[in-house]
Amino acid sequence: MHALKPFLAVCFALVASSAVIAQDRPRVVAVNYALQYFAERLVGDDADVVFPVPADQDPSFWRPSIADISMIQSSDLILLNGAGFATWVDRVSLPRSKLVNTSAAIEDQFIVTQSITHSHGDGGEHSHEGLASYVWLDPALAIAQAEEIAAAITARNLASTDEVETRLEMLRTDLEDLDADARSALADLQNVTFIATHPRYEYFANRYGLSVRSLEWEAGIMPTEADLTQLRALAEETQAQVLIWEAMPPAGAFEVAAAVGLQSIVFSPLAHGAEGQTFLDTYADVISAMAEIGTQ
Amino acid sequence: MNALYLAFAYLRYHWGRSLVLMLVAALILFVPVATQILLSTSERALVARGDATPLLLGSRGSQLDLTMAALYFSDERPEPVPMREVEAVWDSGLAIPIPVHTAFSSSGFRIVGTSLDYFDFRELALSEGRGLSVLGDAVIGADVAATIGKGVGDTLVSSPENLFDLDGVYPLEMPIVGVLEPTNSPDDQAVFVDIKTAWVIQGIGHGHEDVVTAAEVAAGSEAVSNAAVVQYQRITDENIESFHFHGAQDDFPASAVIVVPNDTRSATILKGRYLDGENPTQLIAPASVIQGLVDRIFRIKSLLDVVTTIIAIAAFAAIGLAVFLSYRLRAREIATAVKLGARRGMVLRLLSAEIFTLLLISTFIAAIGTAIVARNAESWVGWLLALGA
Amino acid sequence: MITVENLTFGYGGTGFRLRVPKFVLQDNERVAIVGPSGSGKTTLLNLIAGILTPEAGRIDVAGTDVAALSDVERRRFRASTIGFVFQDFALLDYLSARQNILYPYRITPALTLDTDARDRAEALAAACGIGDKLDRHPSALSQGEQQRVAICRALVTQPKLILSDEATGNLDPDSKARILDLLFEQAALAGAPVLAVTHDHELLPRFGRVLDFAQFREGAEA
Repeated sequence: MHALKPFLAVCFALVASSAVIAQDRPRVVAVNYALQYFAERLVGDDADVVFPVPADQDPSFWRPSIADISMIQSSDLILLNGAGFATWVDRVSLPRSKLVNTSAAIEDQFIVTQSITHSHGDGGEHSHEGLASYVWLDPALAIAQAEEIAAAITARNLASTDEVETRLEMLRTDLEDLDADARSALADLQNVTFIATHPRYEYFANRYGLSVRSLEWEAGIMPTEADLTQLRALAEETQAQVLIWEAMPPAGAFEVAAAVGLQSIVFSPLAHGAEGQTFLDTYADVISAMAEIGTQ
Repeated sequence: MNALYLAFAYLRYHWGRSLVLMLVAALILFVPVATQILLSTSERALVARGDATPLLLGSRGSQLDLTMAALYFSDERPEPVPMREVEAVWDSGLAIPIPVHTAFSSSGFRIVGTSLDYFDFRELALSEGRGLSVLGDAVIGADVAATIGKGVGDTLVSSPENLFDLDGVYPLEMPIVGVLEPTNSPDDQAVFVDIKTAWVIQGIGHGHEDVVTAAEVAAGSEAVSNAAVVQYQRITDENIESFHFHGAQDDFPASAVIVVPNDTRSATILKGRYLDGENPTQLIAPASVIQGLVDRIFRIKSLLDVVTTIIAIAAFAAIGLAVFLSYRLRAREIATAVKLGARRGMVLRLLSAEIFTLLLISTFIAAIGTAIVARNAESWVGWLLALGA
Repeated sequence: MITVENLTFGYGGTGFRLRVPKFVLQDNERVAIVGPSGSGKTTLLNLIAGILTPEAGRIDVAGTDVAALSDVERRRFRASTIGFVFQDFALLDYLSARQNILYPYRITPALTLDTDARDRAEALAAACGIGDKLDRHPSALSQGEQQRVAICRALVTQPKLILSDEATGNLDPDSKARILDLLFEQAALAGAPVLAVTHDHELLPRFGRVLDFAQFREGAEA
């Protein structure tokens, strides 16, 4: 998707010019908040960047309505995450010419998770290879995704090449700074084992050499007794000290974790944005929270 | 005028004989003209479709089969081309590739699995409903809707196929979500689905819900699975989440890939990439393949012209003979006319008037027929091409 | 008035010869020609009508020397001057009675089909008792009616001479007299003489004069 097409550009210009009446600005759709944030940074005011998944739904397992699909189909750019994130894209018809797989260039760095084996009753067993999909939690990979988005924006003339280039440089700098901060802040946590309520942090852990084990808890609710039994067993096995909550749990949950001997940190994996915070804010907060653990 | 009056009175009095002669003459006049109209319309339609499809990528093999399958959705089944070839074209940045998957059919109409880009590329507009949105959705051409009498809200079931010999692959029931405006092209005769839906039909993608049996549908219960009756799968709100695809999409098949280059230069560069005879894929220009086909049709047509000419000569000789014989029967009339002082050349005048009247009416009939053909040529040709494909 | 003088005619190769030294037909005269078959009765009619041309002699019909006319002139002369009635009626099956009567107008430029002609056809048909059958085709008419149509056709052009060739030959005895009377009546009204070939000796008293043809035949003697 690097070398992009004057043809597309012309087509786009034609479509865009006729669409101006109906729609003020070009529309970019992103499948998660991280990509929305990168796209907004890169496109500036030249286009609307839409992340259509409601806050209470997991973007990975969202099911768009027909109206959502229609809105997405008529967008000028559809930013996919790749790595198996947002499986709905496999079940929805999308215009291939608008699709951009933002992780196309980093597929060799994907983290393979467990295999899921099942059978269909009539056929034999077969397995699916799982891929960890929260790639943007590694700032280096996030930069690669941002570059991919920048190229797509430029190729479709959604914003001027120079401006996009400048904005990309700024975003790159921000992410590199974030990466440097995280590297230094998390340097002391090499021997700390983390338990996560959900497997979301593979790329993050990989980037900073952290050890993160995962549970499969429902986000945002009080852990059940079965959950806690599982947690105790895992904590005992790993000697973990920190529990990473995917989302803020109900009051009292931290105390429950503390009873197991775990400090709590909330680390939104940024598939959804946090109220009043940017990608960088949330990420920076998590790093400082973790750094504090390191200093304790 | 008097000769014409007498000729007309004679023809009217012997209306049976006159009718046969006129119909024969009309037919002889009509057939070559109608053939010519249909052929040139066919040529225009064929060439237009070819010209509108700049390049076609497919597996190495018959170029005609590839063209017929990808442009006219014929029964030809070219070797599938893997989707990685589509990605390769995307990556080249030189063209927009549009895959078409034409291996299946429903109610006698071809199921065309493709991408949304196809609708933009062919400028297909909906007369009813919406475009493809969800896996399983089908958008049907105008002729399909008219022929099977279905529309938005109805369903279609893919015809059972055993092509790929895959166990557990059942026909797929697809909801019709849209009907296209007529275009007088093979698109009117197609059932369009997302190529992913075509892969589901092929068994590459599937869900984990039980297969629905016709008996269960009839009984209103879908609880028990029984292989003894015709079965098909259905994508529902409940089971859509379980639909998934096995293997890498790069290996999934398409029948052919329509390639729309950005410009002439891109087309030239692209063509160069597929020149290697070792390459399992080929990039062809459908227009030249179709021109070859059209040339062949017109060679056949010239043969047809000779046959028509011979038949026409024979037919007009027969008509001439019939008229001549009738004049022998009218010898008495002529003798009377001479006695009554008929002008010189009276017989010749009568004969000419009679033939003139015959031919005039025949020409009129033939002209009406021709006008009907000309008016409907486009839709008939669309139908003929789809039929012949 | 018709005058025939020193007329000779022969059919090549058959030995048939006809010689008429002198024959005059006065206006309004009704003359029957009798004689054995092959004596040349019809041939005389054809000579007078200009269908055949004599080897020698003069045929004068109402001041026209028929023998001296060219072919085209003779056709025009025939169409405009002669009314012909045939034994077989010679009607056209594909035309209605009315159009059969008007047929002479359709085959020659010598006559013009105008309102007068149409009115005449109507009047003649009415006078002949077939006024209500003008739209019928001959197949829907009786023999007598068909001959009436033929008589109307002979008279509609207002000819100066009526030639009748066995005009009543195909009719039943009752009709014969009536048709002949009708012909005479209409010819008298038109002021045209009638020259009729006939075999019906019982009809001869109705004619003003009878011409026995045996006297003119030479071939029979040869």
